[in-house]
Amino acid sequence: MKSTKILNKNSSLIFLLILLGFTILVTFTSEAFGSGFISTSFLKVLGKTLCLAIVAIAMDLVWGYTGILSLGHFAFFGLGGYMIGMWLMYERTREIVQTSLSEATIPPTPDEVIDAIGNQIFGVVGSSDFPIIWIFSNSLFMQLALVILVPCFLAFIFGWLAFRSRVTGVYLSILTQAMTLALALYLFQNDSGLRGNNGLSGLQNIPGMDKINQSFISIYFFWASACALAFFYLVADWLVSGKFGSVLKGIRDDESRIRFLGYPVENYKLFIFIFSAGIAGIAGALYYPQAGIINPAELAPIASIYLAVWVAIGGRGKLYGAVIGAVFVSLVSSRFTSGQIPDLNIGNYTIAWVDWWLVILGITFVLVTIFTPKGLGGLVDLFHKGKITGRYDRDFGPEQGSLRKKEASK
Amino acid sequence: MSSLLEVSGISVSFDGFKAINNLSFSIGNPELRAIIGPNGAGKTTFMDIITGKTKPEAGYVKWGEKNINLIGLSEAKIAQLGVGRKFQKPTVFEEQSIRSNLLMSIKKNRNPFSVLYSKTTIEDEEKITSILDEIGLSQQTKRAAGELSHGQKQWLEIGMLLAQEPQLLLVDEPAAGMSPFEREHTTELLLEAAKTRAVVVVEHDIEFIRRLNCRVTVLHEGSVLAEGSLDHVTSNQDVIDVYLGR
Repeated sequence: MKSTKILNKNSSLIFLLILLGFTILVTFTSEAFGSGFISTSFLKVLGKTLCLAIVAIAMDLVWGYTGILSLGHFAFFGLGGYMIGMWLMYERTREIVQTSLSEATIPPTPDEVIDAIGNQIFGVVGSSDFPIIWIFSNSLFMQLALVILVPCFLAFIFGWLAFRSRVTGVYLSILTQAMTLALALYLFQNDSGLRGNNGLSGLQNIPGMDKINQSFISIYFFWASACALAFFYLVADWLVSGKFGSVLKGIRDDESRIRFLGYPVENYKLFIFIFSAGIAGIAGALYYPQAGIINPAELAPIASIYLAVWVAIGGRGKLYGAVIGAVFVSLVSSRFTSGQIPDLNIGNYTIAWVDWWLVILGITFVLVTIFTPKGLGGLVDLFHKGKITGRYDRDFGPEQGSLRKKEASK
Repeated sequence: MSSLLEVSGISVSFDGFKAINNLSFSIGNPELRAIIGPNGAGKTTFMDIITGKTKPEAGYVKWGEKNINLIGLSEAKIAQLGVGRKFQKPTVFEEQSIRSNLLMSIKKNRNPFSVLYSKTTIEDEEKITSILDEIGLSQQTKRAAGELSHGQKQWLEIGMLLAQEPQLLLVDEPAAGMSPFEREHTTELLLEAAKTRAVVVVEHDIEFIRRLNCRVTVLHEGSVLAEGSLDHVTSNQDVIDVYLGR
């Protein structure tokens, strides 16, 4: 126990050092503070990637540690983005409207200003009134609170219903898919109050920071994302390393046994589900200002499935595995799908990577599942365990003929 | 002797098949009791009902001095009240260390927030040490539970139950698949445990039960066929017909 504890601390420390090194490296090669080797647009990609790593940690908590395969975590991520997007859009539009109205000969009344803002924001869906859900959009503090509260509330309602009726396994996964699909379909409607399929845009323009160049804003967001990643990594590590983590892993491995030990399994599942929804919301709130736009397509079921694929490829049940998976796969994926890799001509057929990338990803997923069930993060383990005990995956028991690891885990 | 658990007139059926039929049973504290019966006699279903996994259609299960009705309570709640259960297949958390397995079982507040902020106290450490001594695994606390042999896993699971400090211990076939030496150790553990609490052992092996030297309840087709000492029930003609005669 003690030795694993130290190992844990070590792996957190190594992770934080790598993250710090990466942040410094990026800072000094950015356009704002350094050589300009990294373009601002690529810097945004990196910043967004860190946010994806955060939501991957959230996913790992529920899936890798507690065994709840949630295929709807991007609903929470998207909601976080929408919540911060509402304030960004309102405040930014207010600035513009106020500047233009101040040139008028008669000063506008506050009502006129509000109407003008509403017109600007909702004109695109044929409306000019603020829907009730925008009631707090003029307050940064309230919208920041909603970034956490709204995803947590959705997770609470969903989790309370699902876990209490003991829906588990693939049925639960399907329900989570349905949840995110239903939410996306709802948001696609023009009268949902969030501008339908137009979504919220112009989020990269931070109110009150007009004078500041995007290259600086991008690096600020990059730093914020890196800090959030470090913070949530440590929190998640604390959560899973103690007795609480033991119970979570117990629920994953044998739910009914944990029940007979007297632990109210539903409460634990609900707790971790809500907690990870909150993390996902915060990650989304950091992601979308860097992306600049959010629309309901972001909440499509496929996004949440990608998340599960990242965590599986990276290695679930390991926090660094989830981070490796999210960073590696999403970076490679954005490279392939952005058309930066030249098409490959093989005789009478040309492989267009943009189309073939999904196939490659699918094959990789299958291969990883078969050959390294612990994912890329498992390779670190392999190296580690082999060195320390020198008995990785040999006979599991003390006697001849006792269970091997594979049989034991059945 | 006042009874700790009183089961009265419970019935349960699965798709029309009566697994438990108007069964009544009671056990005092401390007491050691063995339950035998052929396959399908309802032994496991009986345990399922007491531990809250299965809800009976009729009857009640009264628990403790306050006569709490256990029917309708969740498994976790029943376990917190003091009913511990050991499954037929050893179920320990294989990926976790022996120590973590025991630490998780120690009787403490089970709600998520108090577990999150719980500290391992000196008393906890002492308790773990004494349980490890009792189950004979004190040299191996850091090992993953999955590395243990079948018999050691059974003991670890019994150790986890002891750490839970239940007033009633339900043990399902503890000696299955054990070597003679391991059986002896298991017998000692159960006899020791039964000094301070009620223990119900479900077992097929008559030799093992003889060594426990306790009252025996014979189940057949979901109800009690006979009850008494082992010699008494084995000389009962009904028991011979349905069980021993096979």
